Amino acid sequence: MLASRVFSLVGRRSICTSLCLRAHGHAGVVKAEDYTLPVYVDRRDMPLPEVAFVRDLSAQQKALKEKEKASWTALSVDEKVELYRIKFNETYAEMNKGTNEWKTVLGGVLFFLGLSGVILIWQKHFMYGPIPHTFSEEWVSAQTKRMLDMRVNPVEGISAQWDYEKNEWKK
Amino acid sequence: MANHSQFGFQDASSPIMEELVEFHDHALMVALAICSLVLYLLTLMLAEKLSSDTVDAQEVELIWTILPAIVLIMLALPSLQILYMMDEIDEPDLTLKAIGHQWYWSYEYTDFKDLSFDSYMVPTAELPLGHFRLLEVDHRVVIPMESPIRIIVTADDVLHSWAVPSLGVKTDAIPGRLNQTSFITTRPGIFYGQCSEICGANHSYMPIVVESAPLTYFESWSSLLSS
Repeated sequence: MLASRVFSLVGRRSICTSLCLRAHGHAGVVKAEDYTLPVYVDRRDMPLPEVAFVRDLSAQQKALKEKEKASWTALSVDEKVELYRIKFNETYAEMNKGTNEWKTVLGGVLFFLGLSGVILIWQKHFMYGPIPHTFSEEWVSAQTKRMLDMRVNPVEGISAQWDYEKNEWKK
Repeated sequence: MANHSQFGFQDASSPIMEELVEFHDHALMVALAICSLVLYLLTLMLAEKLSSDTVDAQEVELIWTILPAIVLIMLALPSLQILYMMDEIDEPDLTLKAIGHQWYWSYEYTDFKDLSFDSYMVPTAELPLGHFRLLEVDHRVVIPMESPIRIIVTADDVLHSWAVPSLGVKTDAIPGRLNQTSFITTRPGIFYGQCSEICGANHSYMPIVVESAPLTYFESWSSLLSS
């Protein structure tokens, strides 16, 4: 008994809170109070849940259930819908419709990417010292010339892209 | 040496490295095939084109046992071939010793003459124009080209590792142990590498430079240096 109460506490915390559900637009999932009792769920792979959605029928609903025992052709469309809503919470269409969760996720991802970028820019501007003098244009061109002279990576690399006859990069 | 922001391997300058580059291409092709299959199945699942009411799946279970076994064989066979190829030592023309210290290499050519020297990195402030930062050394390891070279690597104090990527060589330098490896350079040139085992403050500042030259140049260099 105590174990099932503890478990239901854990179960409650592991399911998205109702505030979170409403923000994404799907406030339809019924939370199970105790996993050993018959429950109602809106699930594609459980077409016939263990119990009906509405347990305590109002007087009007009880009358409708009595009328259901007779021929169904006597029921109006609204009555049929009302009977459906007593038995089930959501229709398949409502159950399967997408949420807006992806917008939240994408927004979060882009935000943190941007934040990382801001941090990196701040670091470069305020924190790091000057880069070595071997990155100057003069040094890099002398270095590239030396790499071509010593035939660095002549098969598929840099020296393979230099035309040694015409003394220019290959087109 | 590597080009700026190079992503792939340097061009091979030894036969073993050529084999390794080809094997890497092969392995990446296998990886591409597997990733494409997974991506395809993933899109199918997300678009809900795969049904979930399968209870008995003998056929697909057979496929996803046999297919990975084939993939593994396709990877293992060339890999083992190259592994055994690396251990073939066919009568080296020259034996040289590389000893790692904190933080420089020393080399000994004791086959014919008593030649040994230290190889320190050239500090960035003293680099001639156009030379490679953190890669140049004062004394290079000169070897004759197109000759099998045996190199025995050890260390004097802590762990180091003698690595030259374009030759496909990386051998740990362990104090008290002699590790042997061999290579042949297929072309003349200067090949750069860096110490590949963390060894203290200046671990990034003890590079290796192998200069491969025709035999006559090697002979004149060694007689110059040993005199």
